[in-house]
Amino acid sequence: MSADDNRPIWPRNLGYITAALAIAAFPLLIANAFYIHVAQTLFYTAVAVIGLNLLLGLSGQMSLGQAGFYAIGAYGSALLSSQLGWPLALAMPAGVVLAGLAGLVVGLIALRTRGLYLAMATLAFGFIVEITAQRWIDLTGGTMGVFGIPALDFGSRSMGKTYFLWVAGGVYLAAQILSDYVFASRYRRNLLALKENESSARTAGINVPLWRTVVFAVSAVAAGVAGAFFTHQSAYINSDAFTLNLTLTMLIATVIGGLGASYGPIIGTLITLLIAELIASLYDVSFLIYGVILLAVLLLFPQGAIGLLQKAAGLLRPAARQRGPRPDADAPAAALAPRVERKPGGEGPALVIDNVSKSYSGVTALANVTARIERGTVHALIGPNGAGKSTLINVVSGLYAADSGHIMLDGRDITRLPSYARTRLGLARTFQSLQLVPSLTALENVMIGIRRRRGAAADFVAWATTARFDSMERSRAFQLLDQFGISHVAGARPEDLPYGHRKLVELARAIAEEPAVMLLDEPIAGLNDEEARQISCVIRRIRDEGTTILLVEHNMDFVMNLSDRVTVLDYGECIAEGTPAQVRTNRRVITAYLGVGLEAEREAAAVAT
Amino acid sequence: MISAANFIQLLLSGLAMGAIYALTAKGLFISHLATSRMNFGQGEFLMIAAYLSMALILAGVPVLAAAVVVIAALGMLGWMLERFAIRPLDRLRSLAGGQYSWVLTTLGVALIIQNVATLVWGKSSQYSPPLFSESRSNVVHLFGVGVFVEELLVILTALLVVALFYWLLFRTRQGRAIYAVAYNPETAALLGVDVRRTVTLVFVLAAVLAGISGILVGPIVTVQPHMGLVFTVKAFAVASLGGFANPLGVLAGALIFGITESFSNYLNSKFGDLFPLLIVLALLIIKPSGLFGEAKTDVR
Repeated sequence: MSADDNRPIWPRNLGYITAALAIAAFPLLIANAFYIHVAQTLFYTAVAVIGLNLLLGLSGQMSLGQAGFYAIGAYGSALLSSQLGWPLALAMPAGVVLAGLAGLVVGLIALRTRGLYLAMATLAFGFIVEITAQRWIDLTGGTMGVFGIPALDFGSRSMGKTYFLWVAGGVYLAAQILSDYVFASRYRRNLLALKENESSARTAGINVPLWRTVVFAVSAVAAGVAGAFFTHQSAYINSDAFTLNLTLTMLIATVIGGLGASYGPIIGTLITLLIAELIASLYDVSFLIYGVILLAVLLLFPQGAIGLLQKAAGLLRPAARQRGPRPDADAPAAALAPRVERKPGGEGPALVIDNVSKSYSGVTALANVTARIERGTVHALIGPNGAGKSTLINVVSGLYAADSGHIMLDGRDITRLPSYARTRLGLARTFQSLQLVPSLTALENVMIGIRRRRGAAADFVAWATTARFDSMERSRAFQLLDQFGISHVAGARPEDLPYGHRKLVELARAIAEEPAVMLLDEPIAGLNDEEARQISCVIRRIRDEGTTILLVEHNMDFVMNLSDRVTVLDYGECIAEGTPAQVRTNRRVITAYLGVGLEAEREAAAVAT
Repeated sequence: MISAANFIQLLLSGLAMGAIYALTAKGLFISHLATSRMNFGQGEFLMIAAYLSMALILAGVPVLAAAVVVIAALGMLGWMLERFAIRPLDRLRSLAGGQYSWVLTTLGVALIIQNVATLVWGKSSQYSPPLFSESRSNVVHLFGVGVFVEELLVILTALLVVALFYWLLFRTRQGRAIYAVAYNPETAALLGVDVRRTVTLVFVLAAVLAGISGILVGPIVTVQPHMGLVFTVKAFAVASLGGFANPLGVLAGALIFGITESFSNYLNSKFGDLFPLLIVLALLIIKPSGLFGEAKTDVR
């Protein structure tokens, strides 16, 4: 979890080495074939559960079809090795690849739909795989099963089970280390962002559909790995093994261990295996017991075993604060990230809105709106309620698609680009209704905005070999919060912050993206005068540093003092454009705001009748 | 080639199953509409209703009385599901996994029901006595083609229930309350709608619809404890085919699905029932909002 982010690496890496040694020594010290078998099952099942934990715990997607991927990994490897005689070193990875491919195909549904549909589609997928395994007897042998599957024993009868345990344990440890990395790195922040606040994820440069699908495929691969090991453990499989109950057992292991915690899966799998052994004699009521366990865990211990352990640990050390304003106040100044120098701006305006129209099922929100936002200026967008200001911001940032017209960012047409791509080209935004990720701290919310400076592999190596592998990002985010005078709440979650602070956190995240153009939707709505002044100073400063700003705001003093240019919208049309002084005296603007024209018309109509 | 008589028989069997799917899927539709949640054990509810109805009729209870008892029992089950397996989760929303906890709790209840049915009635398939006629194979001649009376009356009854359901949804105060809660629970509460009661009501309604489906389906299929999953999966397929937001789409989707399945089963007895499901999954990729649903954008 996040509290572990900056734990020194040696206790952690020593933990891995100890675990590796324990896996190596276990079959040598404990010669009991039954325990070895249970340990084998524990390790490969935990791999599948780790995948499910990433899927459900971090990306918030529910899969009821994991048994299907497990079955594909199992049958793939079983058939390739027994029928085609492939060596296990090829057949097992091939089975896993097949499971991953199936995951990509089913993941296409995740790409197009959300939440509930995915749960239903995966339920149907699992059902289809189960029925196919049962009925396609020529291929799978149905309930009779596949015979002649080689065991993963490296040709040794006496040591075979030990070798299997080592391989399965090694694969588990690798999966656990990768999972730990995901939980410590930007991937956890990005996945939680797309789980909890999709708008903010999209505008922070995260390719949401891609990530959804990738995580889904990863969980399918993990299930396939478990299936391939299962096949070569007892060297026999039949279709009875791959029912919905297998999926449910893995889900039970996930929630019983503690959803969304990196060590939940291994603990949950262990508990589930123990329960399975305990109730083996109560076969008649096993479903009933599993049903009761599901209800009990979700209703009584929703944080799972990890949550209980943390609570117990908290009771033991009441003085030790779980999280505090610790983030890197002590980071050496040299580690402070220098602001990336923006390339000197090119020619022409920073942002051009060219004849953009947008209507919602017949209601025109924007009608041929045109605006040129000059480089390095603060450009305000004003207009009465319902004038289309927020719609324009949403169209420019890519959350809505324009019906017609073009949007050019730095001379490049971005009209057809998705939100995240616009963000990567240098467009950042804040929201009128705050869009922060609830389960991340203020600091982590800001870190979402910071661009990655190295690839995944380099980042992983840095995580594995250095303490504070993300200190650059952390320091930069801390520095931004500090500039706003709210670094003391860096460790707090959004829900615990006052409104003004949340607003500042969101602005800090947008600045962290180092955008060329920043869109601010009502940056001071709901703030007190002091906070508004602070925001005003920040906006001036980032403009002076070269960022172009397009802002929507109702507070006229704020707009008139701060803006270089002002565009006025009314009923989706651009009715005026100019300097604050010009706009202030424009007749149409006064009419739009005060309704003089309308009143006059009404009076005229009243007189006429 | 299919003969004309065969064609009509397949069409009617398809319509009968389609009408059952429509009833089951309506239950999912209405709970999803009002709460964005649904019972993943809808099929198990149908299964237990089929068993109860079979047991009562075999014990000599008149069909109508048996139906009333089963519907009351299922309504009670739906109330308990909402009260004890779904509502308590709201308290825990902020905790990890809160978002889809209801999927797992409703599945947990499904497992329990399945186990209880196995304990009481055993694992093997059983035949439920017919509801409307003397025997399961009673045939009437329509346009010169022999069709099963049971199937015909199942279709009529199911369509009658669907019509009743529409009347409830569109013409009564309760129906408007359901739509109000679906649109915005807070606003509905401010307008004087008892949100909690309405939410309970939709789950009771969903269970009752599963119950009616169970009573009707008993005589036209074999009853066994594992039949639930098939119906849950197919009801989902039907509801997503129709587009979850569109009540008429669910009916159309169900009938199309039932008929497709009937012909697909005829053409390929081994995997015929899987093809319609695969088609629906493929459709979900191409047209995620279903055949009749309106694409909804999530706008904050």
